[in-house]
Amino acid sequence: MKGAIPVCKRDLRKFVRQPVMMVAVVLIPLINLVLLGSAFGGAITHAPIAIVRDSYGPLSSSLIGILQNQQSCLFGGTNCQNSFNLENVADLQTAQSMLKEGSVKGIVYIPANFDAPGGTHDLPVYVDTTDPTSAGAISADLTQAGQQLSIQLQASSPAASANATATSVTLIFSSPYRNLLYIEFMAPGSLVQTVMFVSIIGGGITILNDRERGVIEGYLVTPLSRYDIVFGVLLAGVVKALFSAGVMFILAILFAGIHPNVGLSGAILMVLTLVLTAFGLLSMMTAIAVKMPNRDMLQFMVGPLNFIFYFTSGAIYPIQGFPTWMQEFSLVNPEAYAVTALRTLMYKGATLAGVIGDLTFLFVFTVTMVMLATIAFRRGL
Amino acid sequence: MDAVHTFDLSKSFGNFHAVDHVNLQIGSEVFGLLGPNGAGKTTLTRMLTTVLTPTEGTAVVAGADIRTEADKVRRHIGVVAQATTLDFELSAYENMDIYGEYFDIPRQLRKERIKRLLEVVGLADRAKSLVGGFSGGMKRRLEIVRSLIHEPEILFLDEPTTGLDPQARAAVWEYLVKLHKEQGITLVITTHFMDEAEGLCDRLAIVDYGKIVALGTPHELKRQVSGGDIVEADFLSAPENALNALKNADFVLEIKQQGSLLTIRVSNGAEAIPKIIEIVDANGGKVRTITLREITLDDVFLSFTGRSLRE
Repeated sequence: MKGAIPVCKRDLRKFVRQPVMMVAVVLIPLINLVLLGSAFGGAITHAPIAIVRDSYGPLSSSLIGILQNQQSCLFGGTNCQNSFNLENVADLQTAQSMLKEGSVKGIVYIPANFDAPGGTHDLPVYVDTTDPTSAGAISADLTQAGQQLSIQLQASSPAASANATATSVTLIFSSPYRNLLYIEFMAPGSLVQTVMFVSIIGGGITILNDRERGVIEGYLVTPLSRYDIVFGVLLAGVVKALFSAGVMFILAILFAGIHPNVGLSGAILMVLTLVLTAFGLLSMMTAIAVKMPNRDMLQFMVGPLNFIFYFTSGAIYPIQGFPTWMQEFSLVNPEAYAVTALRTLMYKGATLAGVIGDLTFLFVFTVTMVMLATIAFRRGL
Repeated sequence: MDAVHTFDLSKSFGNFHAVDHVNLQIGSEVFGLLGPNGAGKTTLTRMLTTVLTPTEGTAVVAGADIRTEADKVRRHIGVVAQATTLDFELSAYENMDIYGEYFDIPRQLRKERIKRLLEVVGLADRAKSLVGGFSGGMKRRLEIVRSLIHEPEILFLDEPTTGLDPQARAAVWEYLVKLHKEQGITLVITTHFMDEAEGLCDRLAIVDYGKIVALGTPHELKRQVSGGDIVEADFLSAPENALNALKNADFVLEIKQQGSLLTIRVSNGAEAIPKIIEIVDANGGKVRTITLREITLDDVFLSFTGRSLRE
């Protein structure tokens, strides 16, 4: 057993001489803690809700007042914030297309006879059930608001209290979409993660391996240009990513209980989304990899990178539940746009109009990253 | 026309002159760049193969300027790097086929050339095997013919037999000589092995600190170490006065001491041996072994640079 001492010594000395390793062992769990801790369990606040108002009486005005002031709190009434961000929309059809695009999470429709005295005060409410977490929170908050309105109504018209239906507001919930399982909600994120893994390997590690082995220098004594090399690597990565995501998609349907509702145009748009995402992420990884002094450094970096992009993408928890700083990061996170677009295409039967915003962001991101990768490649290899 | 012609070719990294005003002409021959690690051979080769841009001077390789016509140069040269760049997951055929596509060679022509080249290096029956299962020598031979797929005029090889066992080295040398003789390809080989330089190369340049310190056929270079034979004497005991007596003897041209081993250059080795023993005995020393050998390239290197290649 005496030999254990020098073996141990060698290992410890090497550990101390590698600051990257020391940082990584602390940094990675810390990033995981902060990201996971912040991603899960936040109250859904500021949920965007469309209000379509066809009645302008005092009852509907109090309803809007209640909704505006509705607060969502963590347990024990701490950390309260507004539940809803209300947006007035002219007609139900527009509101429904907004629900499809994902710019609102629910619709409250105030029908023309809502304020009619002695009427039934029925209130149709549409909720985006492709996001089960948000849908649950929004339904609970709206139900609470409805009860509050009923109490006000009863207090203001005691004479009519004999007629119970006339003195309470009834919320009629419906959704244009099926009630999704949580695993279905998560599935688009897993497709994007597949693309990210392929990008890490194809755009990052393979390039560094080739550089260390002298393959890249070998290319340079052939008529191939640096652009040929960059685009060849990217193209191969896109094919690999698309193939892997396709396999993942089929396996998810077969074994994970995912039931997407995708037509031909939806499938084409899904492929387009995945191609743009893969092109962008591969280029990003290439640009990063070229700047790394060695493979170890890259390998330490890809873990946290993957975590940061995945957990802030809204793949596992709705972005409305994140703290503000994380929501802001989500705004520039390409995976967030990819996840949203794929979720829309998979469960809402959306057309191009439903995902054009997400695809535009992905396109801009991809063009930027391809340029960065090309520049980095020209200078760094 | 020269295969390679350099004009004050230089490359500096900061204040370090890796290649320092090299003027060199290489014809249709097997040419060796001989020097220790870090002498500048590889930097010189990387410039000639258009991977590095010179900081001063230029060179014409295969009739094209490396600065202004790099693409033209690349179409007429083959390069075999020191470490393998083969893809182990692919077969020998696939490795060559894809490499041929880099040079835009039509499929049918690639097929013919691959078949012929694999035959040249005795790998025709392994065309479909994955390269990962090849021995070091087989990989090296495959790499050499892969770089010939576009029929280059000049083939640059960086330490082509490093890491190979003697038998594999001999095979690689044999194929290289065959390629030169049968296909008329100019070979430019960097090496720090003297036997490789001597056995393989028509002409040699000895490179040290970025400069060419000697140039010629191996025979010419050895003659430049002005005359005589080398006697190596190993001593059991060699008192100071015995060494001094040897240094002062009229037949001794030069003495170098490494531990108990004396390397003595003399005008006539056969006559010198008894005299050396006599002088050492007379001064109270004792010779353990004494051998006569011919001048090697290492002696040449030693005399031009003051250092041994073997160090």
